[in-house]
Amino acid sequence: MAFDSGDFMNIRYQQIQGNSLGFYTLIAGLGVFILAALGAFYYMEYQGHWVTGMNNRIVWGMPHVFALFLIVAASGALNVASIASIFNKKIYQSLSRLSGLVALALLAGGLMVLVLDLGRPDRLIVAMTKYNFKSIFAWNIILYNGFFVIVGVYLWMMFERRMNKFSTKVGLIAFSWRLILTTGTGSIFGLLVARHTYDAMIMAPQFIVMSFSFGLAFYLLILMASYKWTNRELGDVIINRLRSLLGVFVAAVLYFVAVFHIGNIYLAENNNVATLLFSTDSIYTNLFWYGQIILGSIVPLALIYHPVFKQSNSMLGLASVLVIVGGLVQMYVLIIGGQAYPLEIFLDKEILEGYGGVIVYTPSLAETTLGVGGVALALIAIVFLLKFLPFLPESLSNKVADPHYKR
Amino acid sequence: MHNKLNRRDFIKTTSITSLSVATIASGITLTTFAQRKNPVTNAKRWGMLVDTNKLTETDIDSMVDACQKEQGWGGEKYSIGNQKPTWIRKLKVKDKATGKISNLPLMCQHCEHPPCVDVCPTNASMRREDGIVLVDKHLCIGCRYCMMACPYDARSFVHENLTEQKEHMPRGKGTVESCTLCVHKVDNGEQPACVVRVNSEAVIFGDLYDPNSKINQTLKKIQSTQIRADLNLNTGVRYSGI
Amino acid sequence: MYHWPIIFLNLLLATTLAYATEQTSLGDEARMIQASGKKHHGSESLIRKMHPEFLLHKRDRTSREGVRTKKHSLKNCVYCHANKDKKTNQYYSVNKSGQFCSVCHQKVSVSIDCFACHRNTPSKGANNAQ
Ligand code: HEC
Ligand code: HEC
Ligand code: HEC
Repeated sequence: MAFDSGDFMNIRYQQIQGNSLGFYTLIAGLGVFILAALGAFYYMEYQGHWVTGMNNRIVWGMPHVFALFLIVAASGALNVASIASIFNKKIYQSLSRLSGLVALALLAGGLMVLVLDLGRPDRLIVAMTKYNFKSIFAWNIILYNGFFVIVGVYLWMMFERRMNKFSTKVGLIAFSWRLILTTGTGSIFGLLVARHTYDAMIMAPQFIVMSFSFGLAFYLLILMASYKWTNRELGDVIINRLRSLLGVFVAAVLYFVAVFHIGNIYLAENNNVATLLFSTDSIYTNLFWYGQIILGSIVPLALIYHPVFKQSNSMLGLASVLVIVGGLVQMYVLIIGGQAYPLEIFLDKEILEGYGGVIVYTPSLAETTLGVGGVALALIAIVFLLKFLPFLPESLSNKVADPHYKR
Repeated sequence: MHNKLNRRDFIKTTSITSLSVATIASGITLTTFAQRKNPVTNAKRWGMLVDTNKLTETDIDSMVDACQKEQGWGGEKYSIGNQKPTWIRKLKVKDKATGKISNLPLMCQHCEHPPCVDVCPTNASMRREDGIVLVDKHLCIGCRYCMMACPYDARSFVHENLTEQKEHMPRGKGTVESCTLCVHKVDNGEQPACVVRVNSEAVIFGDLYDPNSKINQTLKKIQSTQIRADLNLNTGVRYSGI
Repeated sequence: MYHWPIIFLNLLLATTLAYATEQTSLGDEARMIQASGKKHHGSESLIRKMHPEFLLHKRDRTSREGVRTKKHSLKNCVYCHANKDKKTNQYYSVNKSGQFCSVCHQKVSVSIDCFACHRNTPSKGANNAQ
């Protein structure tokens, strides 16, 4: 092992104070979103899903967009800790605790949305007790629960000095688990043989790179915000590392999206879907090009790499926000766009009447509110835990991040 | 007692009436009294054969109507457009090669290897031993993954509160439903409502395994297809003439 | 044999609170059986204690295995235990507050979701009793 406890000694972790007006305003603001989400949930549950924009063709709507986005981002947020454990990069070690926290919080937010959008959320106990081991979904439930446990243990190893020596090993387990978890999430779509819009195993690796990018964007925002708002020092050694990492991840997502769609264009049977995304008159086409590709990938890449913006933390913050927005759009195109197109029930026949047409889905306010509530839940959990447990190093100045740092 | 009729008398009169009705209506009604006592086994596999050449558009409409009447769907108050349940639908299709136009009813195809059952996290989607694919609504949590997985878009989600359901077909908000092949009738020795309504050679229901059954014999004679045969699901509902 | 006092109490209640009992009573069909001196459930304490298990077992047997006997069938509980409003000749829902499947549950604050799907009144022309 390359590090000894001495390495840990020179990083001092400290709770945030959390008694300023700003802190309480933040909590109150997030609380409003969460209450609104609970109200929306109650309304949809009491009335039934007819008050949503969902129907029997678009069975997964806005809540799933948020839920899957958060779940994917959750596993990605753990990456910083994984890099620290696996590659034994000292510079990332000081960032590991926060990484575990963000991962858990995002997962909790995502799962809340997922569960509250069930037709019968009151039967959650059934989902926890009756498993069909053939179902990817059931596996995902196990993987999510396991993620909580493993990351929880991992955090404990990092917090408890006498356990520090195990943290690398547990970090490795956590990393493998999260890879499996994201593979599982991707396979929810990848294994749907009936749907030519999804059925492709590339979904699994694609979800993994998506998670790298979305998770890191979230992580960066939280890191920068908490250091800024608590007047702690955050040096550019760390920021620049994370900045270039984000750039690589965003580019990787772009690459996978390109491979996925080019693959689809060449596979004859998927032709129609390709037209869906590449013809000009569908909302999904616009979302794809303007939202996902331009706003969510190209602009952030420019903000990250262009020399004009390179020195600015606010630009990195903006890039992270755009990556998150672009990620949500990408999930929307993937989940909603993938269902909007009718199934090919007959390969050699055209359906003239009775079924078909591209569905235009209009998410209701309640659905979106529920989804946003998931994000708010994740954030409020992070804010609270930062106050009660020492997740953040007192300082992440260049000197702390890298003792050999020279100006 | 509010009821002036003595119970014994009541039973006497009703049994006499029903007996005479039964006698008049002969064989058909008599079979309906058999109630299943033992679990179904895989000695049988229920199936249906639809001959689109013999089936008129009105026939298909009446099948849909019979299904609604029997199972009680279609009267939802708030669900609009695609939110309305569709257990069975009428399709008009045109063959890409020959240009032939056919009409057919499409419902749950009761696959031997149903994707909906594979994906269901709680085992609510299930295939009975005798091949009927059902939702055990007691376990359904309303995740709708089965609807994503079904190659026929044959399942519906109940989008609102319901009342006055049919006694034999409980349905309720937040769960998924689809054609049950009228399992409540089949278990009592009857035929599915849509088959009874069409009442012709155009739709045959029976045990695919039984060499003496009409469906088995017909399938041996004529050429039939499964929809999305490429997925190797081995459907219980077969079509001829398309 | 403690069901006698209960029946006695029931009767007592029936005379004093004539209107209220109509709602809290056993159900028209069940009352008829009781009045004829017969019993339906072998032991009252057993059905009182065990009916959740009976129902859930039957539920699985019917919906997963196709067993369709009348014993412990929910349809039949409703058939026997539903009360009619004498004035309108309409059934009360068995799970309505004050009706058979609700009185005890309210006392022990159990809530059941069965009647979100299952019909809570006998359907017209039903004659399922056995
Ligand atoms: C054929 C009519 C009939 C059916 C069907 C029936 N019951 Fe009963 N039930 C009665 C009668 C009559 C009594 C009064 C006690 C007795 O006869 O055993 C009774 C009593 C009861 C009691 C005790 C009431 C008390 O005040 O303590 C419970 C609980 C009960 N039934 C539940 C059920 C359930 C649950 C079902 C369905 C599984 C059911 N019953 C089906 C006729 C019926
Ligand atoms: C989401 C809808 C739904 C809910 C809620 C529900 N059921 Fe059912 N139930 C069904 C369906 C569908 C069947 C199958 C009917 C058939 O195949 O004939 C059924 C059948 C049954 C049967 C066998 C048929 C009969 O009438 O005896 C029993 C017993 C039963 N359910 C008990 C229950 C109990 C007890 C509850 C509450 C704890 C409950 N169910 C809640 C939908 C539901
Ligand atoms: C004599 C009082 C009584 C009557 C009448 C009664 N119940 Fe119950 N029921 C109970 C009690 C007490 C429980 C809780 C038992 C337990 O938790 O073990 C219960 C529990 C249940 C449960 C399980 C609920 C759960 O979630 O665990 C079901 C289902 C149920 N009853 C159905 C019925 C139906 C249907 C009727 C009407 C036909 C009925 N009960 C009438 C007393 C009664």
